[in-house]
Amino acid sequence: MFKKIKRNLKILLLLTYNSLKITSQSRQGMIFFTLGKILRFLLLFGIIFLVFSKTKIIAGWSLKQVIILYLTFNFIDTFSQVLYREVYRFRPLVVSGNLDLILVKPYHPFLRLLLGGVDLFDLLLLLPYLFLLLLFIFQENVSFFSFLLYLVLVVNGLIIATAFHIGVLGFGLLTTEIDNVIMIYRDLLNLGRFPIEIYQQVISLIFTFIIPIGVMITFPVKALFGFLSFKNIVFSFFISFFLLWLSVKLWQIGLKRYQSAGG
Amino acid sequence: MIVVKNLIKIYKIYQKTGRLITDIFFRKYEEVLALDKVSFEIGKNELVAFIGPNGAGKTTTLKILSGILFPTAGYVSVLGFFPFEKKEAFLKQISFIMGQRNQLIPDLTAMDTFLLNKEIYEIDDYQFKKNLQKLTAIFSAEKIIHQPVKMLSLGERMKMEFIAALLHQPRIVFLDEPTIGLDIFSQEAIREFIKDYQKEFKATIILTSHYLEDVKRLAKRLIIINKGKILYDGSLTAILQRFSQIKYVSLILEKKVKQEALFKIGKPIVYQLPKVIFQVEKKELPRIVAYINNKIPYLDLVIEDEKIEEVIKSLFKNQR
Repeated sequence: MFKKIKRNLKILLLLTYNSLKITSQSRQGMIFFTLGKILRFLLLFGIIFLVFSKTKIIAGWSLKQVIILYLTFNFIDTFSQVLYREVYRFRPLVVSGNLDLILVKPYHPFLRLLLGGVDLFDLLLLLPYLFLLLLFIFQENVSFFSFLLYLVLVVNGLIIATAFHIGVLGFGLLTTEIDNVIMIYRDLLNLGRFPIEIYQQVISLIFTFIIPIGVMITFPVKALFGFLSFKNIVFSFFISFFLLWLSVKLWQIGLKRYQSAGG
Repeated sequence: MIVVKNLIKIYKIYQKTGRLITDIFFRKYEEVLALDKVSFEIGKNELVAFIGPNGAGKTTTLKILSGILFPTAGYVSVLGFFPFEKKEAFLKQISFIMGQRNQLIPDLTAMDTFLLNKEIYEIDDYQFKKNLQKLTAIFSAEKIIHQPVKMLSLGERMKMEFIAALLHQPRIVFLDEPTIGLDIFSQEAIREFIKDYQKEFKATIILTSHYLEDVKRLAKRLIIINKGKILYDGSLTAILQRFSQIKYVSLILEKKVKQEALFKIGKPIVYQLPKVIFQVEKKELPRIVAYINNKIPYLDLVIEDEKIEEVIKSLFKNQR
């Protein structure tokens, strides 16, 4: 078991190193990509301050709470993008048929298809988010238990993000039109930048129970401030593991039905 | 080593009608029978060639044997494994090379892919160095392994694909159109490489190719497949004995011979005196040779088999 983990880590490191070598070949692209992300982050930060200059509370959330939520969103979103960048390159692999040569390799294909393109430059962006997030959290009066629960629920949010990405891979085997699926995921996730309470009740329920963006982002922050009920904590874990199970099933069904290009 | 019994594969192909609503909500699928109760066995250190026209089922067979595709029905066992389960112990013993697909990372050097495969297949440093040296030497490719793959020619890239796929010394190698698109020199290099590799590593090799030259030069056993059915499974020489009904009799005449005497043999397909060539029925050959010996003065007599390409072509024609 330990040997297997060690081997997988070695492969992952090599894949990451190769990905870094490829990214660093286009330096200008890398700089503009990073600048664009920083600009987007600052603009949204500005909008939050602008809204709160007109009002003190939004849907029961104070300025600092909304900032923590926004930074939590950025952390989960960026972290899942850092890890799962390769999912965005899945369609060309299926269409070209090069996926076949990955499926005959003696390792779990997720190692390559899910984690095979870890973007270290996005990882660098994660550090200021993390710094700001911790800075704002420690300015608030939160208990150690609430903070611990917050961390656990953030990890739970990452499990949901993982399930979404595996689901996209599964869809990619059944239909090559996955670029739309991943864009829908990105658009929906973007709605999680703000507390789900700002949306109408029906939409808010959808974001909790059907497309659990609220569970991914709003729930950890609610737990941090002691707003989250025990029932919802249990539900969070249930939904993440259910989605993970469902996405792996979808992948397995996809593999069985996979027809391979030119087959 | 490889056992296949009554293998069936059905593809579901989406049929576009061109009507938007129907295409979105009432999709129609056509079922295409790609393999129809295919059975065969392949032993250790065999080099078997699968040939057939496009869509015959060659690549589908290879993809099922390597675990890429799930069979619709039938029994498949490769090295004692059901390939689709993709057990690590199984995948470590096989390799798949496709002429039109790449495992090499285009932006990096071939060596980067080799090093990645070293970890994936858990090849130790000594073995890796030894195998790499041996494989690059066969191809005389010591220098190009350090060049970015995207800068290599198709022939060079294919050589690198071979090295990447064989570094772990697989026991079974699947080759799908390995020489497609290559110039004659690269084709020759690849053929020599396959031969040398099989000899050196005692591997079982299953090859598909549209080039009969590949088959003639490499395989002793031939499996001819068309429309998902096996038409022939046997040696290259036996195919002529079994399916060829024709022989070519070529004569160089010693002196002028009356046309009527010659035409008693049959209508010649080449009549450029002193050279005359006849296409005759195999069963008629003893009678014709006796007649020539008695009645026709000649300097040279050559009897040739029908070309293997012609035999295979007529086999496919008869199946249509």
